Amino acid sequence: MAIGRWGVAAAPSRLRTLLGSCVGIALHDRIAKLGGLAHIVLPDSRGDAANPGKFADTAIPALIEELDRCLQGKSRGRLTARIAGGACMFQTAGASGQALNIGEMNIVAVERILGSLRIPIVARDVGGEAGRRLTFNLATGVVTIRVPGGEDYEI
Amino acid sequence: MTGPPSDALRPEIRLSFEQGAESASRALSNWIDRPVRLTIGEASMVDLVEATGILGDPDTPVTACAMGLSSGRLSGQVILVFRDRSGFALVDYLMRQPIGTTTSWGDLEQSAAQETTNILGCAFLNAMAGHLPADAEAAPNAEDPGRNPDLIPSPPTFFHEFAGSLLEFALADQAMELDKVLVIRSRFTVGEAATERASTPDVELDWTLLFVPSGASLRALVNSFDSTDSQ
Repeated sequence: MAIGRWGVAAAPSRLRTLLGSCVGIALHDRIAKLGGLAHIVLPDSRGDAANPGKFADTAIPALIEELDRCLQGKSRGRLTARIAGGACMFQTAGASGQALNIGEMNIVAVERILGSLRIPIVARDVGGEAGRRLTFNLATGVVTIRVPGGEDYEI
Repeated sequence: MTGPPSDALRPEIRLSFEQGAESASRALSNWIDRPVRLTIGEASMVDLVEATGILGDPDTPVTACAMGLSSGRLSGQVILVFRDRSGFALVDYLMRQPIGTTTSWGDLEQSAAQETTNILGCAFLNAMAGHLPADAEAAPNAEDPGRNPDLIPSPPTFFHEFAGSLLEFALADQAMELDKVLVIRSRFTVGEAATERASTPDVELDWTLLFVPSGASLRALVNSFDSTDSQ
């Protein structure tokens, strides 16, 4: 899954992506063995509708809408979330010169949005200073993570 | 906000990048005691998906050294990225030992890569900032606009990372400003091939120098694109 995009798939497929400060949101319906993965870059679209996959506040609703279509309107109460990413390697400066941690801002936004939509986060692997390779198994809902130089682990 | 389409930098902006590359080439040549040439290639605005692939397969592990730099006029991150084999070659050049001698990253080898990044990054950004036209300055020196401001580097850090994740980290700041990011391609040539009298084929090193401007510097640089070419 490319940066700033989302996608939906069913078992036995797997979805993969690479994360740095971005956050990957893996939503799963274990009954239908179907799910979707969004790779968001920034927390807030501020009204920018041109790139819905880039922002947490537009990508998550768009992913849920697509999953709901695939589940014929039955997604409510059936989706669980696993999230990963939001690391920080380089501090960046905001418009007023204050240090920004974009990874942390992404994590906060994703958790807030999923909470407001009453989608439980069943596992998370977030923060730190290293990138992550995420693999989402649609049959089980399990997310496997690898960091540079490390072994695979499941969340 | 979207950026201009892929096009050419204004000649005076390109010249400032070339001055930066020239200065970096001289500094690196002195550092490793052999001719090195850093050549500036095409400049373009690309979308984020394309940008995360500029180091090749995003899944590939790479080694990198990064440092923050602020010259007053221009600020951002300078990142020297290489596959392990090319990084080991750099250490071998510095140690004046046969290529292939270094095979792992100990403290000494990491320190050599960090110091190389420091020398290269400072030379590049200092020369570039000194040649930027006034309308491309992010933050001109208010007291003396003509003075080349002091360069303030942060200590280089050494790390291993997935190529795609590294670019994602580096470009997050630009992504806040634009839907497209500025990419200026460059390549290193070392040895006799880097001189005017080269009689052997180019020896191209698999090192990549990334200059990732801060948001303010990016705005200034994007405004420097030739508006007649971006229609």
